[in-house]
Amino acid sequence: MKKKLFGFLSFAVTVAVLVGMLKVLNWLPTAIDQSTIRKYPSIEAVGAKLGIREIYVPSYFPATLGWPPAEILAQSKPFEAVVMEFKRPEDGETALIISQSARPEFAPDMKIRFTEVTEKIPYALKGREALLEAGTCNDRSPCSRISWDEDGTRIRLAMQSPPLELIRIAESMLR
Amino acid sequence: MDISSFFNTYPGIHIVQAFLHSLTATVIADRSIHAWDIKSPLIRQRVRLIVIFVPIFSYPLYQLIDPGRSSISFRLGALLDSNRWLSLELWGKVPVSIFFIVLLVSTAALFLVQELIPILRHTAESKQSELEWDHPGEGSPVIGVLGDLPVEMPDIFIAEDANPVVYSTTGNNPAVFLTTGLIDSLEPDELRAAVAHEIAHIRRSRKPLLMFTYLLRVLQFFSPATLVEFRKVVEDEEKICDDSAVEITGKPGALAGALEKLRHGSADNIEGDNPAEMLRAIERMSHDMLIRNRIRRLTRGDAAQAEGSGWLKFAATLAAVLMINYFIV
Repeated sequence: MKKKLFGFLSFAVTVAVLVGMLKVLNWLPTAIDQSTIRKYPSIEAVGAKLGIREIYVPSYFPATLGWPPAEILAQSKPFEAVVMEFKRPEDGETALIISQSARPEFAPDMKIRFTEVTEKIPYALKGREALLEAGTCNDRSPCSRISWDEDGTRIRLAMQSPPLELIRIAESMLR
Repeated sequence: MDISSFFNTYPGIHIVQAFLHSLTATVIADRSIHAWDIKSPLIRQRVRLIVIFVPIFSYPLYQLIDPGRSSISFRLGALLDSNRWLSLELWGKVPVSIFFIVLLVSTAALFLVQELIPILRHTAESKQSELEWDHPGEGSPVIGVLGDLPVEMPDIFIAEDANPVVYSTTGNNPAVFLTTGLIDSLEPDELRAAVAHEIAHIRRSRKPLLMFTYLLRVLQFFSPATLVEFRKVVEDEEKICDDSAVEITGKPGALAGALEKLRHGSADNIEGDNPAEMLRAIERMSHDMLIRNRIRRLTRGDAAQAEGSGWLKFAATLAAVLMINYFIV
């Protein structure tokens, strides 16, 4: 019995050491290269640290969402990308995700997950060809998504709301 | 498509995660065997099979449970995010992903040269063999020697050949094949032990598990951890059949004696003029090392040790592997 308990203890220590080693391995690349994806306290900090020239921010913002972004993630390697997450002040739920990236396949809006896309249409967004999608999210609430290319950058907005409010936000990001 | 974008596609992510998951599973499984001082080859094999089975299924399984696992926010909180390494460029020029690809390709080449080609060659050679296999006659001494084995006997076939060879086939008509060279070189007890070992293979091979394990191993041709662990699984399989043979005959020394006579005595040096010869010498040497290890084990009497079912240890190891790998993306 004593041997068995010692075995469990020894195994638990091994697992703990392995977890520690994995954490160090995970931290190491960020120490070597500052440009991989990480959290930033502000949009200004992203521009200053990564040198991303244009960060697309809406000038129209509904009162139901909190400003500044609750979370900002950005990277300049392996490609430029910025993700801003906005939450509803009343319940702290993620309600809007704005992302821009140099690669079109980059889709960081998993927190606003569509369960059903009911409509998918091309939309003329201030002269740009955008793709507008409407549907429902996990809790059956209405969700919408819009994406378009702007000077080689794919911009993508996903929101827990009908498309009308989303389009207003998207239009306010363009001159 | 550049390299880093391949590692962001579904097959790319699957390969990366299977690679990493097999590495952590190997560390955990080996430490588990060490921590509990597991000596039973049956329990050791069970624990090691985690390394073959889990990594190939873990990525699709985890994604099914939690599709958000591939999101950036999950990756930021993960224990290990492979993207951080794969997108890294040393001195701003050399992508780390190149080294990773070299490792995958080298492992695949090793698998091809050391496992797949020898199997294909062996299959081709056995098809070309001109040996004539016959049932032993009524008065054959083999019948006298094997007749008292306390198990259901499969078909026995004998061929006239000076090389000492024994092997078995499974399936609907399982059989043990012996050459006269083997019968002449082994004592009756040793012959009984060798045949009992083959009978153990036949009994165990009725289970399709090992075939499925090999299929999974082939699918993970790129993973060095799987390569190493599969060899250990095969080694454990031999030891399990050794234990079974000892259980049938009650004579570990006889099996050790038979193995000693069957091992390649000339395989201590790697010599050869061309790569193919060198390769065969390496194969012989590794085969010989395995047999010597089994002889040592039988001589020490490890085969007789009882150790319980080990299911709790297996469950703890599996749980640790599944939990840690969930946070490796």
